[in-house]
Amino acid sequence: MTERTLSGIGVTPLSGVGTVVWYRPDADLPEPPAPEDVDAEAELARFEDARAAAEDELEAERERTAERVGEEEAAVFDAHVQFLNDPQITDGVTDAIEGGLPAEHAVQETFSEFVEQFENMGGRMGERADDLRDVRDRLVRVLADGERVDLSSLPEGSVVVAERLTPSDTAQLDPERVAGFVTVTGGRTSHAAIFARSLALPAIVGVGEELQSVEDGTEVVVDGESGDLVVDPTDERKEAAAAAADVDVRHESVETADGVDIEVAANIGTLADLGPAVDRGADGVGLFRTEFLFLDRESPPDEDEQYEAYVEALESFDGGRVVVRTLDIGGDKPVPYLDLPDEENPFLGERGIRRSLGPDADLFETQVRALLRAAASADGANLSVMLPLVSTVEELRAGRERFESVAADLDAEGVANELPEFGIMVETPAAAFMADQFAPHVDFFSIGTNDLAQYVMAAERGNERVSELGDYRQPAVLRAIDATVSATEGEDCWVGMCGEMAGDPALTELLVGLGLGELSMSAVTVPQVKAAVAETDTADARELAERVLQADTKAEVTEILTLDQ
Amino acid sequence: MERTVTVVPEDGLHARPASQFVETANEFDADVQLGRADEDDLVPAASMLAVTGLGVGHDESVRLVAEGDDAEAALDALEDILSTPEAKQ
Repeated sequence: MTERTLSGIGVTPLSGVGTVVWYRPDADLPEPPAPEDVDAEAELARFEDARAAAEDELEAERERTAERVGEEEAAVFDAHVQFLNDPQITDGVTDAIEGGLPAEHAVQETFSEFVEQFENMGGRMGERADDLRDVRDRLVRVLADGERVDLSSLPEGSVVVAERLTPSDTAQLDPERVAGFVTVTGGRTSHAAIFARSLALPAIVGVGEELQSVEDGTEVVVDGESGDLVVDPTDERKEAAAAAADVDVRHESVETADGVDIEVAANIGTLADLGPAVDRGADGVGLFRTEFLFLDRESPPDEDEQYEAYVEALESFDGGRVVVRTLDIGGDKPVPYLDLPDEENPFLGERGIRRSLGPDADLFETQVRALLRAAASADGANLSVMLPLVSTVEELRAGRERFESVAADLDAEGVANELPEFGIMVETPAAAFMADQFAPHVDFFSIGTNDLAQYVMAAERGNERVSELGDYRQPAVLRAIDATVSATEGEDCWVGMCGEMAGDPALTELLVGLGLGELSMSAVTVPQVKAAVAETDTADARELAERVLQADTKAEVTEILTLDQ
Repeated sequence: MERTVTVVPEDGLHARPASQFVETANEFDADVQLGRADEDDLVPAASMLAVTGLGVGHDESVRLVAEGDDAEAALDALEDILSTPEAKQ
């Protein structure tokens, strides 16, 4: 058998060898067998079991919705249960099974008749047709379950191959047993990609339809760095991949070949991310996304709970800096206990600092109290805080004043506190243009490249149709970064970067050349970036940055970077 | 046993009122049928498909026909739902 290679977008600088397991959650029904081959009694029993299971699911979803959204919205699930148990449906399915159809085909056929009827009635009946379709799809899914790949119990060394993986799919994956995954669709910032990095799994996304030609049970090498999927690999290839999987973790801090210190830190969301960050040799935390402390719960964490979380992060690193970003909540991150507005475009709406200075002022105050107290803890001198999505100097001033006034309150209460190092995220073009005006007011900038690229290029994150535009290698994005760093010349203001770009070892030299002193990324890429820093000479890096900044297209940027390696 | 009732809920026999109506009809042993007051056709009140399929709107009149031991209680309960403006929680 000869080796062949498919290419996609590598999303983790890791390689894995394994056996393909296709995951097809929503495959079309196969052709039904001949009626005489259908065991009607067994199919009726399957239908009854599926109906009971679907009803349990609906009851659970009803409860959850009533709790999270409200009774009104939960009522739709009552209607679904009634459709599920409707005598016309059950009679229809029973007749179809007795006429020689397997349960899933009988369900499909029976529901389709009614769906069509309701659709033809038009108007509000159309909504009922949607409800019926929902119930039908649920039943078919439950019926298919037995034959579907169970993501939670895959054989060891499986490479999961799928059209796409949703958050509920990835939540089931057992990282211990999975050697990697590959998807037909998706980009670097898709859910599956971020998930792969947080679990340090080799992964390739966006391979395209060609991936369909790789069959179940095929042996493959997943090169998450180059994006190459090698099908039927040679023994040499497999050995090389296994060797590459052994990365050299450096726990000490790193400097360039000519002796310039570069901080290499990890991005974390929850305290569970601290372990991997330490294991992969991160110097500290460059982005603590505190909103994760607020998601998936019924009420916000109180001051003490937050204080303990910040102190735990500080204590995890031996003298390493921990940069905490204050709450960045908006319409794209649902929080059940907050009254988030339904916005047409949440990325341009009320989020980040806009909410902290507005409707979430109380939550913000609690967080500021916890942070000021954490800054006075044993390792508190290493704490830094930054505000998200700042676009005006007024926002920066107002945010800073909040810290100062809350510190005065704590002083009056006799509670120990310190003002931590203070900075802002540079994510908006406004912040990049105005960086010289912001710099005197802050100790540091941290460039959030995911949002900066999205806003500079007006290309939505996660939208594959514009993923080429939203790439951080676009010259306009690089110039925004350069403008931000240049604006701090002569100011006492360091500049770091958090976001996927900082974790791309192919760009490390460029970023050092642009003048970034701190790079923060998913823990998985810390060793590779540290290795890249150690090989960098700052004079060469600056020369590289100058050449790249002259490029007029992303293609030229990529070409310069490739030739340089 | 038969009764004619005007449908009060804003939504008519849809969404939540329909859901409650069908649920209630299923709680009784009596066989309840439902149709428009001016038409002869009747459909089973215990079928969500049939009830919503009638497409009865606000302020229309419907005919309820019940047979069985608890027919009267069933009609009382169903009439109650159809004459309550806001469906009860």
